[in-house]
Amino acid sequence: MIARRLTTAVAAIALIASAGVTAANAQAKPRLRTTPARPSRSVEIGGYGMFGNINFTAAESFDAILGAPSGAIFGGGARVGLPWGGLFVDVGAWRFRADGERAFVFQNEAIGLGIPVDVTVTPIEISAGWRFRVRKLPKLIPYIAGGLTSMRYQEISDFSTPAEDVDERFNGYHALGGAEYKITRWLGVAGEASWTTVPDAIGEAGVSDAFNETDLGGTTLRLKITIGR
Amino acid sequence: MGAAIVALIALGTAIGHGQLNSSPVAKAMIRETALPPIDRGLRDQDPPRAARTRDDANRVRSSQGDTLAYVRGSIIVKFKDDATRGAITAATAQVAGTIADRSSWADFDIVDIPTEVDPEAAAAAMRARPDVEYAQPRYRNHAMARPNDTLYGNQWNFPAIDMERAWDIQPGASAEIIVAVLDSGMAFQSGSVRYVSRFPFRVTPNGPLYPALGQVDVPFAAAPELGASGSTRFASPRDFIWNDDLPVDLDGHGTHVAGTIGQLTNNGNGTAGMAYNVRLMPVKVIQGTWDDIFGSPFVGTDDVVARGVRYAADNGAKVINMSIGREEGGPATAVTDAIRYAVGRGVFVAVASGNTRADGNQQNRLAQPAPDIAGMVAVGAVGRTLDIAFYSTTGPYVELAAPGGDQRQGGVSAGILQQTLDLDMLETYTRPPRADSFAFEYFQGTSMATPHVSGFAALLMQQGITNPAAIEAAMKQFSTDRGATGRDDLYGFGLINPRATLRGLGIAR
Repeated sequence: MIARRLTTAVAAIALIASAGVTAANAQAKPRLRTTPARPSRSVEIGGYGMFGNINFTAAESFDAILGAPSGAIFGGGARVGLPWGGLFVDVGAWRFRADGERAFVFQNEAIGLGIPVDVTVTPIEISAGWRFRVRKLPKLIPYIAGGLTSMRYQEISDFSTPAEDVDERFNGYHALGGAEYKITRWLGVAGEASWTTVPDAIGEAGVSDAFNETDLGGTTLRLKITIGR
Repeated sequence: MGAAIVALIALGTAIGHGQLNSSPVAKAMIRETALPPIDRGLRDQDPPRAARTRDDANRVRSSQGDTLAYVRGSIIVKFKDDATRGAITAATAQVAGTIADRSSWADFDIVDIPTEVDPEAAAAAMRARPDVEYAQPRYRNHAMARPNDTLYGNQWNFPAIDMERAWDIQPGASAEIIVAVLDSGMAFQSGSVRYVSRFPFRVTPNGPLYPALGQVDVPFAAAPELGASGSTRFASPRDFIWNDDLPVDLDGHGTHVAGTIGQLTNNGNGTAGMAYNVRLMPVKVIQGTWDDIFGSPFVGTDDVVARGVRYAADNGAKVINMSIGREEGGPATAVTDAIRYAVGRGVFVAVASGNTRADGNQQNRLAQPAPDIAGMVAVGAVGRTLDIAFYSTTGPYVELAAPGGDQRQGGVSAGILQQTLDLDMLETYTRPPRADSFAFEYFQGTSMATPHVSGFAALLMQQGITNPAAIEAAMKQFSTDRGATGRDDLYGFGLINPRATLRGLGIAR
């Protein structure tokens, strides 16, 4: 099972990478060649803030309780460029929070019970990846990465005891790809797509059990403001 | 006090098919005002009382040698919609019968047959005909309670199912929810009724012969812990035993059951109820001993119960409580049909599983269809230890369990306590009863378990689950498993857990 997921993740990374290259190809002919962003000789540190949207894999469960399977995220992080080609590591975190109501599921339909529930998802993502350089577009830097996710899930309801509320952390992994555009030498914007899986985090109880959904991950689209080289 | 005398309500026209007495109906409202009800407080020192059984329900008639489980002289028949007049005539002729005018809230007919004809055989003959959807004798139903006797404690039954925390979530529902109590009537109004006791009677087969009491005036009152007489607390009362709109409780069973559903709560008095803000619909479909003594025109046969179910569904009830039933005779097709009708109109129905486990475990015919009807639940009883009560009938149709009391496991106070009619003032027999005197009595039985489920259903409806099938599913899903793992014949899916059910589900928990 784990091997299959790893294979899926690797395939996703490869797909995202090839997509980035293909996009670059479409913009400049003859064929563009990608090379490491720069022949790095030193460690480069940068930071970023981000916002975006997540679509949860457990779409029916989130929709049943929160009224939508998706929502806004906000976060930030730091990137460290290593002195080996385009290699970098990234540590980021973001947060999703929404209010909903507890429900009962009958014949695959959720019936709201009017009891407020507050759901917060806070992942920490540690990634390693590669930044590419497009010769004809030196300000555009495609990148891909993959890594580990530590997902904190909090579910706090009215009329619940602390033991009945949920505050747990689960581990998973992710793959992402995107492109950064350098507005200035120190400031840039980036668009990024990420896929995260956190298997077996949910699904033993709650509506996720009723809908047979076990993955706390999802896909996110993010816009980043980056600072640093 | 210069009481206004209201014109007598003529009830003689009520006599029709199924009539048990040829004399004019002996009940008339003579006064709509009354002295305040008498409160005799907690009755926890009374001597033990015999357990309520079918024989108690029909003891006057039993004493007269009528021990049949059904009424002679008529049967219930539902002809198919496409049955022709000729076919119906031929069918009734086969059993030498005639069809009476169709009763209100009935989708079936009563076919009068000669009294010497066996109703079960006649019904079987009718069922064999292609134009007949179903046919059955007019089986008698009775209360499922076992009135208690000895000592007293408090309402252990509500903490046992975590009701305090459930009320935090859903405090007693609201007046938008009407719960119909199909039972022996309810102490819902004050006044005085004139009855006529025409014949000497016994209340036990070998007991003393009491003389006919003649014309008697019976004062009655609304139970103080149910609500004020004439208030909006009570909706659309109906008496199918006397065929009028005055379902006076002359037994105490219905009032006790109604108390568990909707006893006034947080008023600094008496006891609490499950869904204490709902409106209560008194629908009298079984008779008490005094109704028999006074010669009620109807008794609690299947057709009467079926009409009561349809009446409740047609008059706004969202929940129907049936702490009634019978063990003898065949399937209760007419009642089952009516329950399907009610559920189809969005009404949740709770029926007692029966009280026969210690006496042969005969199953309650009215409750047996529960597994086949999503939105109808058959309820067993547990005692204070939350173990199955000694009397609680078991079987494949039992779906849930609720506190019904078990006084073998804890004495009198292990029963279910509610305010009801003072039994000392009811079981007089040498003099007329009073239905305006109240006491807090411990009863036990699946009759007492069932209103827990009905009140629970009202809370769920208020919380947002309005589909009867969904209510049943929710109750089962969140029940606390007892006995063998999973569903079993003693507890069904388990003991009801209102707090967990009302709280529902989050994403992960």
